[in-house]
Amino acid sequence: MTKMFPKFAASLAVCSALVSASVAADVIKIGVQAPITGQYANEGQSIDNGVRLIVDQYNAKGGVLGKKIEVVSCDDQGTAQQAAICAKKLVNEGVKAVIGSYTSGATEAAQTTYFRAGVLQTSDGTSDSLITHKYWTFFRNSFPNSAEAEYTAKYFVDGKKYKKIVILSDYSSYATDLADSVVKALKAKNGNIIYEGKIKSGTQNFTAALTKIKSMDPDVIYFSGYYTDGGLLRAQQIQLGIKADFVGGDSNDNPDFMKLAGDSAKGTFLINVPTPDILPYDIAKQFLVDYKAKYNAMPASIWSLMNIDGLRAVLHSMETTKSEDTKVIAAGMHKLKDFPGITGPVTFREDGERLGGGYMTYEVQADKSYKIVSK
Amino acid sequence: MDIFLQQIVNGLTIGSLYALVALGYTMVYGVMRLINFAHGDLVALSAFVGLTVYTQIFGEGITSLIAVVAVFMFTAVIVAVVGVLLERLAYRPLRTAPRLSAVVSALGAGLVIQNAVMLIWGPNMKIFPSEIFPSTIWAIGGIVVTFTQVMILGLSSALMVALYFFINRTKMGTAIRAVAIDQDAAKLMGINVNRIIMVIFIIGSALGAVAGLFIGAYYRGITFDMGWMYGLNAFVAAIMGGIGNIPGAMLGGLLLGLFNAMITGYISTQWAETFTFVLLIVILVFRPTGILGEKVAEKV
Amino acid sequence: MMNKTSLIALALLVFMGFYPLFVDSAWLAVGTTFLVFSVVAFSQDIILGRAGVFHMGHAMFFGMGAYTTAILNVHFGWPILATWAPSVLIPMAFAFVLAGPIIHLRGDYLLVATIGFNIIFIQVLENDVFGLTGGPNGIFGIDIVRLFGIEFASQTYMYYMAFILLGIALFIMRNLDKSKFGRAMFYINKDEIAAQSMGISIRYYKLYAFIVGAGIAGAAGSMFSVQYSAVSPEAFNVTQSIMFFTIVLVGGSASLPGVLIGTFIMFVLPEVFREFETARYLVFGLAMILTMILRPRGIWPVKFGDIPSYLKKGVK
Repeated sequence: MTKMFPKFAASLAVCSALVSASVAADVIKIGVQAPITGQYANEGQSIDNGVRLIVDQYNAKGGVLGKKIEVVSCDDQGTAQQAAICAKKLVNEGVKAVIGSYTSGATEAAQTTYFRAGVLQTSDGTSDSLITHKYWTFFRNSFPNSAEAEYTAKYFVDGKKYKKIVILSDYSSYATDLADSVVKALKAKNGNIIYEGKIKSGTQNFTAALTKIKSMDPDVIYFSGYYTDGGLLRAQQIQLGIKADFVGGDSNDNPDFMKLAGDSAKGTFLINVPTPDILPYDIAKQFLVDYKAKYNAMPASIWSLMNIDGLRAVLHSMETTKSEDTKVIAAGMHKLKDFPGITGPVTFREDGERLGGGYMTYEVQADKSYKIVSK
Repeated sequence: MDIFLQQIVNGLTIGSLYALVALGYTMVYGVMRLINFAHGDLVALSAFVGLTVYTQIFGEGITSLIAVVAVFMFTAVIVAVVGVLLERLAYRPLRTAPRLSAVVSALGAGLVIQNAVMLIWGPNMKIFPSEIFPSTIWAIGGIVVTFTQVMILGLSSALMVALYFFINRTKMGTAIRAVAIDQDAAKLMGINVNRIIMVIFIIGSALGAVAGLFIGAYYRGITFDMGWMYGLNAFVAAIMGGIGNIPGAMLGGLLLGLFNAMITGYISTQWAETFTFVLLIVILVFRPTGILGEKVAEKV
Repeated sequence: MMNKTSLIALALLVFMGFYPLFVDSAWLAVGTTFLVFSVVAFSQDIILGRAGVFHMGHAMFFGMGAYTTAILNVHFGWPILATWAPSVLIPMAFAFVLAGPIIHLRGDYLLVATIGFNIIFIQVLENDVFGLTGGPNGIFGIDIVRLFGIEFASQTYMYYMAFILLGIALFIMRNLDKSKFGRAMFYINKDEIAAQSMGISIRYYKLYAFIVGAGIAGAAGSMFSVQYSAVSPEAFNVTQSIMFFTIVLVGGSASLPGVLIGTFIMFVLPEVFREFETARYLVFGLAMILTMILRPRGIWPVKFGDIPSYLKKGVK
């Protein structure tokens, strides 16, 4: 047995030697932090694919600042702890900027590390809390929950005139934050919230909670969480014969929602910014064509495109400022005004917030297609 | 009142699924004194096997009695074979080893099954063909019951009754009970212990397979790692009822399902798990071997 | 007095001491986490390997230490150094209160009860009790260690702090072994019933082991939270507990080198084989089964036939 230890020590030495050999050459590294596996894998993979597509296009034209761009991906599995590990790893890799992550929680867990290391970070996370730290390294490439919440409250109270509103969320930071924002916006408009609850993501069986809601006879059930649970909630709502409308927040807008809900998907309302296929911009159309050509699929959702706009803003700023210094690049990004993005004009506020909005409500039709019912 | 009855239906549905899975834990434990941590992953495996069997043989969108029976039979057989292999390869070599070694082997086996499922079917959620059962819904008074729920309740109670008679009224059942009480004595009486253990794994895995298919049909979304959650709940159910005790596992499963529905419906959605485990610990503090578990003196 | 084992141990210690000089910061981070996890594994070994308590909820005590540091530092502005004592004492107090009523349970029942505690702990964290635990995302922005105006921020400092912690843990374990506790544990492990009839209070010593183990795990947790500057519930869930449980049994329970090997195999190897991302846990599971079949008492087991040297003092 005693012979084991030298072997063990030797293997340790070998692997450490292997790793330290990979020293960066003349490339600019861009990090991707996304949930490549796990619950939100199809969103994470779509972000990773999109980033690699854009980077390939840049490299084909000679890269930026005369250097090739290299993509380093790290899978945060949509969890905060893995995100913290990813952040350390990407910083150690020497990336200039990190694209992602998809969920607000994973983004927030990594924020401090990027800020301390001076690494730029751009994410589609919509929690309002993401910009409260005022880190100069952070740029949101989507629109905040508070904007969506105001739209939702207006639609509920002025548009649909719902009298009894149920608000559900899961435990994630994004969904909690969105639900809180919606509650706040509804209260400001004197909306009548009869129940606020949380479901545990991934537990599949929501019948007990829905039965409780049934006894309150609501007009609408609003769910701020993700499609994996939203689809099941909708299916079980219909199964239990609860007559209320079902309105899903932006993260329910995913093809898997329709598959999970099955026939019950019909009549669901989804609130989101425009879906990729109805974006009116030419670069958006071109991007979708290129994406389809390379991966033979469509991007999972608008969120991947938001992240792509973040990446494009970073690369654009590198080119205009002719600098690799992240402070200078950040300053360049703040100077952008209506930079033509795939998801619309990109302008950043001083605290890293992306200005704009433009939410819509879709109603899911029997054939799973969307009909815009309110802008 | 309607709401209360509806919660009972909700609780019994999930409770019978727990009970089916719990039987697998308890039967293996009863005979081998081993917590089969891989059992939950067998349940997940069954849902995926069922998905493939259904789409490959029948194609999507078909609802027919033959399809249902065939999918259940095929899946149960395949998963039972995996269960037997599991015992042969991972547990039998450890029968005389320290007990915790077998537990680690079981944990490892669970990891193998789970990751094999991930490699074969991919890491993303798959949609189980829920059209395998008709989407009929009955509304009786204010209570709603679906066809799938009726199937779950009906088939699992039938299976449990059958199992009860099998264990208590047949020759093989008597042999199983004998092996559970004393393996060496059973061997001396001419019982083939290895064969009995094989039968145990066949029955346990097949019951788990039925549960896995029902989970797929009822909840639609299946993931490679879902076995852990169902496995843990079922294991808790088995412990509550008194592990090693077959009626105990059935009782534990139904009790756990009902308790969970009532807590979620009337007390708190957010703290449901905590209530479950507090109940478990309270049961264990007052009845250290579960509700129906007998008091066993440790062998000296 | 140097025998072969202590020589190897010394060599290993020297190697680990100089490890930061050879590697880049990514592997330094892996090294630091390896040290922290070994400390947790040793504390799990006190409970599982030495006291023989089937404990599958150890990540809870690890997490309590981490969250104590995070909460006191982020919400109450305590310096990290000041949070070290509470992050040891709070897990100890909880170990006493929680384990007290269940310590008499038979093996497997105890196992599920400890899993239960761990799950309740996670739910408490996720439900953001008193607004302190930060819900499912946990707490971010934990400070670095500062002393006399010096900031111990670099990965190398973290590594040596973890190294010192491991040293302290080993020192405590050595003292425990030599004490009345160690002798009692040895006899209980050899034959519980005989030990009981000799007048050794099994309940007392098992509880004692639980409390000491919880305290050491808490200290490691505190270190962990500073290293990642973030804590969140999933780092302390049952899956983690199962990992610590497995580390001890795969390596060899109640065996110092065994636990170190276990930690290396269960934590460092998956890091090394990150490239084989998808298949690695499959191989890993197979390895767990094979290890148990080939070496049921772990890779480097203690020899139970021998009476340990510290019990033989003065006997020729």
